[in-house]
Amino acid sequence: MSYWNAASRRTERALAALLLYLLGAGPLTAQEAETNLFGSLQAIFFTQKSRITLNTPLPDGTTTLTEERNSFAIQQLDIFLQRQIDDNFSAFVDMEYQLNYSSEHRWGSMSLQEAWLQYSHSDAFNVKLGLLYPAFNHLNEIKNRLALLPYIFRPGVYERLLSNLYRSEDYIPEHAFVQLSGAVPSGDFFWDWAVYVGNAEDSYISRTDADGNIRQDMDRKFEFLSGVDPTNADLKLIGGRTGFRSRTEHFKVGLSFTHDYDNLRDTTRYPMFFTRPRAEFRGDARRMRLGADLSGSVGGVRFEGEFINVFYDYDLADQAGFDMNLTFAHGMLGYWFTDKLFTYGSAEFGTGTFDKGWSHSSLSFGASYLLNSAISAKAQFIVHEQRHDEDEDRAMLKFVFLGLSVLL
Amino acid sequence: MRNPALVTSSLLALLLALQGTPTAHAQDVGDMRVFGSMQSLFMHQYSYSEINIPEAQLSLQEKESRNSFAIQQLDFFFDKPIDDAFNAFVDLEFQLNYSSEKRWGSLSIQEAWLNYSYNDAVNLKVGLLFPAFNQYNEVKNRLAVLPFIFRPMVYERLLAQRFLTEDFIPEHAYVQFSGWIPTRNLMLDYAVYVGNSEASYITRNHPDGGIDTDLNPNFEFLSGVDPTDINLKLFGARIGLRSPGERFRGGLSFTRDANNMRERFGAQKPYFSEEAIRLMPDDAERYRFGLDLSHKHGDFLIEGEIIKVVYDLGKAERKLDLSLEQSFVYTLVGYELHERLFSFVSAQWGDYSFGLDADYFTGTAGIAWKWRDDITAKAQWVMYTERMENLVNDDGVRYGQNTRLHFILLGLSVLL
Amino acid sequence: MNIGRKIVHRAMLAALLLCAPLALRAQMVVITHASVPVKSISVRELLDVYTLNQSRWDDGTRITVVDVKSGKGRDAFFEYIGMSPEEMQRIWLRKQFTGKARPPRSVGSEEDVVDLVAATEGAIGYVNERALKSGKSVRIIARFK
Repeated sequence: MSYWNAASRRTERALAALLLYLLGAGPLTAQEAETNLFGSLQAIFFTQKSRITLNTPLPDGTTTLTEERNSFAIQQLDIFLQRQIDDNFSAFVDMEYQLNYSSEHRWGSMSLQEAWLQYSHSDAFNVKLGLLYPAFNHLNEIKNRLALLPYIFRPGVYERLLSNLYRSEDYIPEHAFVQLSGAVPSGDFFWDWAVYVGNAEDSYISRTDADGNIRQDMDRKFEFLSGVDPTNADLKLIGGRTGFRSRTEHFKVGLSFTHDYDNLRDTTRYPMFFTRPRAEFRGDARRMRLGADLSGSVGGVRFEGEFINVFYDYDLADQAGFDMNLTFAHGMLGYWFTDKLFTYGSAEFGTGTFDKGWSHSSLSFGASYLLNSAISAKAQFIVHEQRHDEDEDRAMLKFVFLGLSVLL
Repeated sequence: MRNPALVTSSLLALLLALQGTPTAHAQDVGDMRVFGSMQSLFMHQYSYSEINIPEAQLSLQEKESRNSFAIQQLDFFFDKPIDDAFNAFVDLEFQLNYSSEKRWGSLSIQEAWLNYSYNDAVNLKVGLLFPAFNQYNEVKNRLAVLPFIFRPMVYERLLAQRFLTEDFIPEHAYVQFSGWIPTRNLMLDYAVYVGNSEASYITRNHPDGGIDTDLNPNFEFLSGVDPTDINLKLFGARIGLRSPGERFRGGLSFTRDANNMRERFGAQKPYFSEEAIRLMPDDAERYRFGLDLSHKHGDFLIEGEIIKVVYDLGKAERKLDLSLEQSFVYTLVGYELHERLFSFVSAQWGDYSFGLDADYFTGTAGIAWKWRDDITAKAQWVMYTERMENLVNDDGVRYGQNTRLHFILLGLSVLL
Repeated sequence: MNIGRKIVHRAMLAALLLCAPLALRAQMVVITHASVPVKSISVRELLDVYTLNQSRWDDGTRITVVDVKSGKGRDAFFEYIGMSPEEMQRIWLRKQFTGKARPPRSVGSEEDVVDLVAATEGAIGYVNERALKSGKSVRIIARFK
């Protein structure tokens, strides 16, 4: 090779390198802010067979009411925005639509589910500020992330479709506003911890009524904003979770705790099948929730379980000999037949709100199949029962769901 | 046989050509930018109200305090440059932990327009827009770029139930011509616009279905539209001067529209005689005059706005000498303690005299710390007072009411 | 003699060709940007990084995790850290959908991995050693087959 050729080859290489640099292949830094817009949607078809059996006949002599229905729906659509602002700060927003949302037709709902800023000092210490799902048991942080769950119909206390049947806000802390959390490595595990505070429960929060006036249950006089908490600091939510998680994420266990108050003035939203006269309590009942969660995978087998006990400390109820405490338990056992096909069975049990005679239970079987990395097809059969042991009334709902979940 | 010189010079030529090629990013023509901002807050509110009944020599007090977290506001912006002359913009706004299911807060389209820019002096904006009125009207909901958690009263949406902001400012318009023209050492800003009648005229959905309107309900089948004819529409303009570097801004604003007196009347009939009620127009012509000034001197910022609103009450004014006027004055002194730390104090007055006699005062002080380029931490103390005299209850008893609201607000503003 | 050498040479060549698949399957490496303050990494640490549980290096630099979309190298890597690609995908999705972490940057080829890791402070990826190019400044912190 002549000198000229070698020199020219060096020149070419240098020019080519410079070209590449100018074309934007210059050094990238992790500090560059990125905004990611993504989402998920779940479309469903379901059949519902409902049956109520009454021990005491209705005035016309009826003891059994039945109904059958079928429906298509967009069960849920979420738009997420995530922004990594710099090495320490990130922001996240979750905008959620449910059930064919239309403001014109008054169908479904639309809401901000999460909107927070996180400061991350290290993996062991993070501070999240804004509207957030607090860490409680296994499912609370991901309760609306249907794309991540094999379910169409989630475990009862997390299932928004059941929110008129029993009050989820009694069992789980739905939102918080400040959370400190972290994961500390410890041998083969991480020790997870989280503590948080938030507003009082949703039923306290002021709302706009049909006439455009602002209402709340506390008989406060200075109401001019909806969506804000009219209570003082003593009724606010505080809570935390501590747990262990294997490094392979094959095993997770935890204990959760919250302290807040139950708004007993809210007389407009009893559970749907509640028929007995309600005990005459009004006021703020101190409430503590204790949760335990266990989940893991062994080979292709997946198991998940949660237990929630809700304790009330309320003098009037104690004096009347009325037990307000609530219980909920859920277990799921599933198996990955292939990398794409997951099947499961689950069972749950819970006691009713306001009336100890009421209890509810569900049995469910289902499957989800990953059509590709963004689409999964789901099927689920559920029998949900509510019964009153004393009155011997029963309500049974049977569902067959078919669903399609898509990552956007 | 390869010609090294040819290869080298080709590469050089390509290099030079590429020197001018901008790095591709979302602002490129044809790319839509999606971005946003959110402000979350913690609020402590102490409220005090005193009702005085002179006839009964009675005075009643109410006190209350509360604390709340909230997402004060979250905006999604969509900005699309279509070509060199056209661009489109949308602002979707969520307020106060919005949930349709729980009936919290609100969700609305605040802006959605197409702009044609012939040059800096001539721009035409068509669509739902914030018109140019005084200094803050065009940026009233851009909390991420304002030092406030609680904005000047007439712009503060948190007060919408207590303070009728649509009387003081033109909330939206639909067609705006605007531009700026260099003149010697200053820039002359101008804007003229037209829009619908005020929000209280616009048809709305009735809770039981159907369409609600204060006007003729016989031909109503759409909500969100203006059922009035042209003479009640909004017309307005602003003319101003701005120094290069924007250290000085000043302007005069004007609007003409109509006030929906039916809504106001329902609440205020006890204050007027039957003859006055008979003579009062259902639609009163309204004229707003605005003055805004802003001056940055060193690290100090001084700004202020004055708004005067006058109404033509027609025969009621001519025959009975009735008048309706409203005023608002806003002043602010700010100081940049540090390039990332801004502090301010502000005083604001508003009044409303029509049958009842009401005035409002807000005193506020705060700081805004730019923690990062995209994150601002804010703290603000606010004292808001209302004084109302000559109120009348259902039994015809006259009374006065003074209300005082103290807020301590901590906020975090994030650009998304 | 010459025939003997030719036979030996041909036999060696044949052996080499037969071994070529083994050579192709051979050396995988874990690479980082030159600035990363890590000289070697254990399987456990690698697992923490790729499950997005460890988000920073010891000097506080944020870790950018790079993954390749498909290929034998990907399968070998996940086998090395003891996870299936589908399990990892589920973990990444969960972290992304709860805002806890960004998912790894996924690129089309191992050459792209090298380019991205070389150009991004704090980045880590895995490639077949043969994909490393001269002139690309990356650090090898682990080897596996």
